[in-house]
Amino acid sequence: MPKLIVNETEDHLVIRIEETRIDAAIATRFKDRLREIVLRGRKPVRLDMRCVDFMDSSGLGAMIAVRKALPETLPLVLEGLTPNVDRVFRLTRMDSVFDIRPATTLQE
Amino acid sequence: MSSIERQNAGPQPQPATRAQPMFHRVLQADSHDVRRTLTDLHSRFSSQISADAMGRLELVLAEVMNNVTEHACDAAMPGAGPGSMHLCVVMHDTGLSCAITDDGGMLPADCLKPRSLPALDPLDLPEGGFGWFLIQGLTQSLCYYREEHRNCLAFTVPYQQAEI
Repeated sequence: MPKLIVNETEDHLVIRIEETRIDAAIATRFKDRLREIVLRGRKPVRLDMRCVDFMDSSGLGAMIAVRKALPETLPLVLEGLTPNVDRVFRLTRMDSVFDIRPATTLQE
Repeated sequence: MSSIERQNAGPQPQPATRAQPMFHRVLQADSHDVRRTLTDLHSRFSSQISADAMGRLELVLAEVMNNVTEHACDAAMPGAGPGSMHLCVVMHDTGLSCAITDDGGMLPADCLKPRSLPALDPLDLPEGGFGWFLIQGLTQSLCYYREEHRNCLAFTVPYQQAEI
């Protein structure tokens, strides 16, 4: 099962992905698990991606499926993208769809 | 130096002709084997090339090998379990030359035609269709040929690439 550490605050769901790779080997399970967490939470989500140093297009597809599962009014913020993960969002123009922010905002 | 001269060059290798790492692997068309292969590839090349080139190489090979895993091998042997593929990567002057061969069904011709991104409809975002777009954007000299029952795909991942 993909490792996701959930920290629920009053107004947020902070989820840390503790997987170094979101690839075809785990994409489906990752998507199902993450979708289950965000749908149960019903709160704005902050996804801490600092541990992820590789993502392929199946991983990207999983992220998009999770975004689509959330009501549009609920924010999903991606934080701390490593260069390899950032590249996939940029090349596919998905950086214009997701709310991507630097990791520093995690140290509030 | 001709190949004969090179063969007769004597026991002391010259520093300038020091062998560069290469990578060759026969793997199962299976996502876990693809992951293991990419991890090993990373340890073979990461000290030799920039982190940027390493990341592009790994992404391209993941997309190509995932495609083989998902499509090519099913067509060849339905119900017979995963087939296998061969991966070879060598360092050249301007980039990493890669070749992937497999026994699966033929690659549909439109995979190699110039691609654009799937339409980004904000109300119905595409969840797939990015693979060949990424492969085309990150490679040079992409070529495909079919040799009897084998697919052969070859391309170069440049050491330096301007932002797309």
